[in-house]
Amino acid sequence: MSFLRAFKYKRKDSLIHRLDPRSKFLLSIVLMSFSIVFLDLRILFAILIFQITLLGLAKTLREWVYSLRGLIFFFIIIFITQILFGGSLFTGFILSLRLIVLSSSMSWFFLSSTPEDIGRAMSAARIPIELTFSFIMAIRFIPVIYDEFQSIYDAQRSRGLELEKGGFRTRIRNLMPILIPLLVGTIRRTYEIADAMEVRAFGASPKRTSYKPLKFGRGDYFICLAAAILALLIFYLKLFLGLE
Amino acid sequence: MVEIVVENLFFKYPEAEDYALKSVNLVIKEGESIAILGENGAGKTTLAKNLNGLLKPTRGSVRIEGVDTRSLSVAKIARKIGFVCHNPDHQFFAETVEEEIRFGLRNFGFPEDEAEKSVQEALKTFGLEEYRSRNPFQLSGGEKKRLAMASIMVWHPELLILDEPTIGMDYAQRLNIQRVLKNLVSEGRSIVVITHDVDFAASLCERAIILSRGEVIGDGCLRKLLSDSEVVEKASLRKPFLIELEEEAGFSKMEEDFDEICDFLTRVFPKCRS
Repeated sequence: MSFLRAFKYKRKDSLIHRLDPRSKFLLSIVLMSFSIVFLDLRILFAILIFQITLLGLAKTLREWVYSLRGLIFFFIIIFITQILFGGSLFTGFILSLRLIVLSSSMSWFFLSSTPEDIGRAMSAARIPIELTFSFIMAIRFIPVIYDEFQSIYDAQRSRGLELEKGGFRTRIRNLMPILIPLLVGTIRRTYEIADAMEVRAFGASPKRTSYKPLKFGRGDYFICLAAAILALLIFYLKLFLGLE
Repeated sequence: MVEIVVENLFFKYPEAEDYALKSVNLVIKEGESIAILGENGAGKTTLAKNLNGLLKPTRGSVRIEGVDTRSLSVAKIARKIGFVCHNPDHQFFAETVEEEIRFGLRNFGFPEDEAEKSVQEALKTFGLEEYRSRNPFQLSGGEKKRLAMASIMVWHPELLILDEPTIGMDYAQRLNIQRVLKNLVSEGRSIVVITHDVDFAASLCERAIILSRGEVIGDGCLRKLLSDSEVVEKASLRKPFLIELEEEAGFSKMEEDFDEICDFLTRVFPKCRS
């Protein structure tokens, strides 16, 4: 679960946090494309260093490093499948690196943009507010539900529940005392939120204004320019130099 | 009987920058009734969770009967130290009240007939007999709280830790819980109550541990500590009504003569019996 922390907004005052979410998102997509298109060690490393710089500028390196621990599980799976299906350890290493670059490009964006920012960016892209709102709520409630899971798990452990004990069937059955309160709580919360939203006149007027309108600044044009250059670089490296 | 020794305990949550508990030293002996008091975020629940092994110390140690909690499973500790968490909705999952109470006994492998007896006893103690076949989620706030306590008390842990037992309760329900807990104390069981309700604490507990910003700023006789204006203010508390009354009425050395005040009060107000 620690892996999720890499995607949870971290309130900081930084150059990156002040950028427009649209430009950040564009750059994230371009950086992500690198990890999908290339398997070249040099390119992946270069992108990773670039990402670390961005994360450093956003003062979120600590969260990012922490999230890498959550990825260890996936690294193990990568190495095991490589060994089982006749790949080399080197390929395992490259694939792990690719995974880091992939997740970092998204975590950089999510760590420095509030869910509201993301929502505003979606609205600016003419996505209907109902959809945007559901999306923001989903992102926002992942940590809340995770905290609740932890509290429920603690409460049941205090009643002698042991998840690590027993065979497969017992373990599944032992999950019930955790899943039922979690589900009931979540459903109940959705009703409460719906009420709270209605009380505050959600959907009363089709035209919504924003407290903090999106504004493209100089930094944003710079980020977009960087994204454009990097995107061209992908084509250049792939088509003209033929790098893998 | 259970004895907990907390030595130089420091605790930090993984994401936090600061310590939630700093240099806590305590001994909890058998038969004690203790209130943990302090402002919001003082570290009360964190301390309680360190006592029953849900959290393990970052530095220092918590030992239960001489054994470090790091080497014990939560379930093993729970058999001796019951912990009632503050939100009962976090633990209900069974279809009936009765089943809910039985859950702990099943986990600890109590034999069927003994379990049945304990369940009936718990239903009676907590006044839940008429609700035995109701769904726990249909109960009212106070009833849920009682069920949560019953579902822990049912296996008779030697020490009971209650996190905010009176929150959101009306006066009658609060009195009811006070009565049940008083009975436990008089039976010689140890209880630790985390609360903001100083009157509730004063009516139940002999000893107080007062926390402020993760540090113990007072540990000892509850009445003495809660008469100390400096401590009370530092922990964002207020003095219990009886202590305020003592001061207003100008009684001296009241810590020792608390019962005397009660006698005095009942003489002056014959209808008022606490």
